[in-house]
Amino acid sequence: MNNLKLSIKEIHSRLVNKEITPLDLVEECYEKIEENSILNSFITVNKVEATEYAKELSKQEVEKDNLLWGIPIAIKDNISTKGIRTTCASRMLENYIPIYDATVIEKIKEQKMIIIGKTNMDEFAMGSTSRTSYFGSPKNPVDPTKITGGSSGGSAACVAGGLVPLALGTDTGGSIRQPASYTGIVGMKPTYGRVSRYGLIAFGSSLDQIGPMTRNVYENALLLNTLVGRDKKDLTSADKEIEDFTRLIGQEVKGMKIAIPKYFVSDIVSPIIIEKLNRVVEILEANGNTVEYIDMKYLDQAVTLYQIIAMGEASSNLARFDGVKFGYRSENSSSVEEMYENTRGEGFGKEVKRRIMVGSYLLSGDNAKTYYDKALMIRNAMKQEFDKVFKEYDFILGPTTTTVAYPLDENLDDPTKSFMDDVLVIPVNMAGLPGMSIPMGKDQDNMPIGLHIIGNRFEEAKMYQLAYDLEKKLK
Amino acid sequence: MNDYKTTVGIEVHCELKTNAKMFSDSLNNYGGVANVNINEIDFALPGTLPTINQYGVELGIKVALVLNCEINKKVVFDRKNYFYPDLPKGYQITQARNPIGVNGYVEIEVDGQKKKIGIHDIHLEEDTCKSTHADTKSYLDFNRNGVPLLEIVSEPDMNSPEEAMAYLEKLKELLLYANVSDCKMEEGSMRCDVNVSVSKTNQLGTRTETKNIGSISSVGRAISSEAIRQIQELEQGNVIHDETRRYDEKQDRTILMRVKETGNDYRYFPEPDLPSYIITDNDIEKVKETLEVMPDKRRAFYLEKGISSVNSDKLIQNKQLSDFLLGLEDIDLVIASNLLLGDISSYLNKTEKKITETSLTKDKLREVTTMLSTGEITNKVFKDIVVDLMGTNLSIKEIIEKKGIKTISDENALLEIVTKVIEANPESVKDYHEGKDRAIKYLMGQIMKETKGQANAAIVSRLLQEELNK
Repeated sequence: MNNLKLSIKEIHSRLVNKEITPLDLVEECYEKIEENSILNSFITVNKVEATEYAKELSKQEVEKDNLLWGIPIAIKDNISTKGIRTTCASRMLENYIPIYDATVIEKIKEQKMIIIGKTNMDEFAMGSTSRTSYFGSPKNPVDPTKITGGSSGGSAACVAGGLVPLALGTDTGGSIRQPASYTGIVGMKPTYGRVSRYGLIAFGSSLDQIGPMTRNVYENALLLNTLVGRDKKDLTSADKEIEDFTRLIGQEVKGMKIAIPKYFVSDIVSPIIIEKLNRVVEILEANGNTVEYIDMKYLDQAVTLYQIIAMGEASSNLARFDGVKFGYRSENSSSVEEMYENTRGEGFGKEVKRRIMVGSYLLSGDNAKTYYDKALMIRNAMKQEFDKVFKEYDFILGPTTTTVAYPLDENLDDPTKSFMDDVLVIPVNMAGLPGMSIPMGKDQDNMPIGLHIIGNRFEEAKMYQLAYDLEKKLK
Repeated sequence: MNDYKTTVGIEVHCELKTNAKMFSDSLNNYGGVANVNINEIDFALPGTLPTINQYGVELGIKVALVLNCEINKKVVFDRKNYFYPDLPKGYQITQARNPIGVNGYVEIEVDGQKKKIGIHDIHLEEDTCKSTHADTKSYLDFNRNGVPLLEIVSEPDMNSPEEAMAYLEKLKELLLYANVSDCKMEEGSMRCDVNVSVSKTNQLGTRTETKNIGSISSVGRAISSEAIRQIQELEQGNVIHDETRRYDEKQDRTILMRVKETGNDYRYFPEPDLPSYIITDNDIEKVKETLEVMPDKRRAFYLEKGISSVNSDKLIQNKQLSDFLLGLEDIDLVIASNLLLGDISSYLNKTEKKITETSLTKDKLREVTTMLSTGEITNKVFKDIVVDLMGTNLSIKEIIEKKGIKTISDENALLEIVTKVIEANPESVKDYHEGKDRAIKYLMGQIMKETKGQANAAIVSRLLQEELNK
């Protein structure tokens, strides 16, 4: 039983040829999850239902044109799944079972994919190491003493560890791309509005996007195909024609203009990572593309903007967790106010409380003008700065992270440090652009290093073209 | 004490008559079984997102038009953050920064004096759950949660309880005629918060807010008693605090609920789940086309047509009757309005029906009014046929036939009766020649009595005049 190592295309042809059934795949997934329990990549495994569904599918005719038919998938635990516990890695939702499916889950079910379980993450996606999870940190399959990154750490770990071929992550300020980089997989944060957010438990509503996390570029594009589309339940979703994101894959990238902002290769980035990026530049130039190092304004402001906007929005988004309707409620309170205080005090972890407090402060009274309104203005300027670059260039490249994944016990005492892990990826969320991370090498300790590809709005297909080309040439 | 000037500003919340809620597609219908019109969005389940009920926005535009507001063409929603059990999301979606309408006015009339009351702004928002408290428990009805609300904020332009009541009456009338809300204060579909202050100078005094008053007349009483209380406090050398009060009907006084803390902090920010959008002039025109004739215009028309001011007001207050006259502008409206407010209203009250639920059509009302104005039938005949007119599909002629009512239009037969009555009443004939109007009415009455009300009044009237003037 080693089907999970195969590509989706190969698995599909085995399914079509009746060499294997979806049940074989599901059983293999759960075996792998058990073998690798040390990775702590799942909060909830959906074993009973998934096995049941796989048996049912195994009796049905394979959909020959649907490569994703019967393929197991893992879902980050901040995406609402009907009947499957959805915790956001928080005590607050430890026993919360949704009564509805997120739009992406409906789409996944339409494809007859099999939901294996819900993956570990930072509590309410607030963190960049997945260490704020109420259920303990997931561990990096490459080196289990290292962080997976976050907040989609569990999704990254289960794909990188070969437990499940595909996973969904979410990205508010790098939460798909940064763990993808740390674990050596492919992660795409699509253009804001590309994928419906309905059913994604909100952190920073104007930044959040759901995206695919996969072992390779092609499968990433394939999974994105099923996720996208205008959703009348999400007014921020974009009205775009259905397109095949794999359509440019295989075409060589030639004669393109690529920009690398100087900030992305400044001394905040480890030399080994710069070295790998230089290798990418060589490949691109050797193939007749132009690479230029450019100055871009505001990039160094992105973390500050992120803190203001994401925390401001989060402080409001998380107000519904009050113990009145669902989720954790503290017992033995003598008034409503006390019930609120105890419930939120006990139900949320430290980092979440810290961000709610900071966010509330930032929106209070005159602060809203001083901070939030101003942040929105700079955010807009930053968007325009990106637009300017994309008038001239096809892509913006850089490293996904400044360092490789670090030990699980490092940087625990400084809450501001973890934001710096996302310094290179946050600008993409601010501008609503698509960004993806693909592996571009390893350091001396075998830790993965990610290449960050930023495309223009709704140009994911073109990004996959470049990513696939590089994936091939970097091998 | 008379040198104090009272200043009043009013915030009105009215529930909009939409099919669905403002930010979700569950039904806008509460008052029945609790917690049936609710979905995952209303319940604020994690991951749910709001959408915009476009019809709700249209109703907002409609009210903006009716209240003479400038319309904000950029539709933007904000979040108003606070914790309360009846607020499931922990924030209310409202329009804090860009209300749909600003700078409007309503014209009122008190004691013959006209006055414009400024509208500071009107904005769209959502209602909260309805809480019920019993023993140590509280219960929430989510049916009301998310019902579209329109908040109408007046300028502090009213200076007496009478002006405040006139403002509310007028507002209610306008909202009813714009067909946007039921405006039932007793059922909570229209709610009033009243800000009152008193001052001896041109500088406004500190105001208090009296919340959730149950009727328009209570608003008047609440303002009176609150103004008196404030004046007494000031006269005793005390100061007025910015506080929230409620009005106790039985004691006829306002009672302190809570002192407002400085800088109530709702942490407003633009709702990121609802992208702003622009309404076009074309959108506004379309809404304009749906507007019915407003009450002021109708009232002026009625007066012009000779309907008394009392009856004009009665018609305006009973919109179904006023609406029934639309399209019948060419008939004798004095007669038609008398029918509507008289026998027809009695019938409607007795049967507890709306006029549109009866067999009376506009054509039949036109016909019967014309028959009355030409004297073809009398009021007495109308009384006899009204039940059939309202309750059956028979034509007027068929009803008259069925009832065995004959109208005597035979001039020779009528002349005989006229002559007979003139001969029997020499006193009245004398009165008539001395110019007493009453006399002819009396003689007409006698003739009608003789004919059991079946004589054609127009012919009788002509014959009578002719005979008397011979």
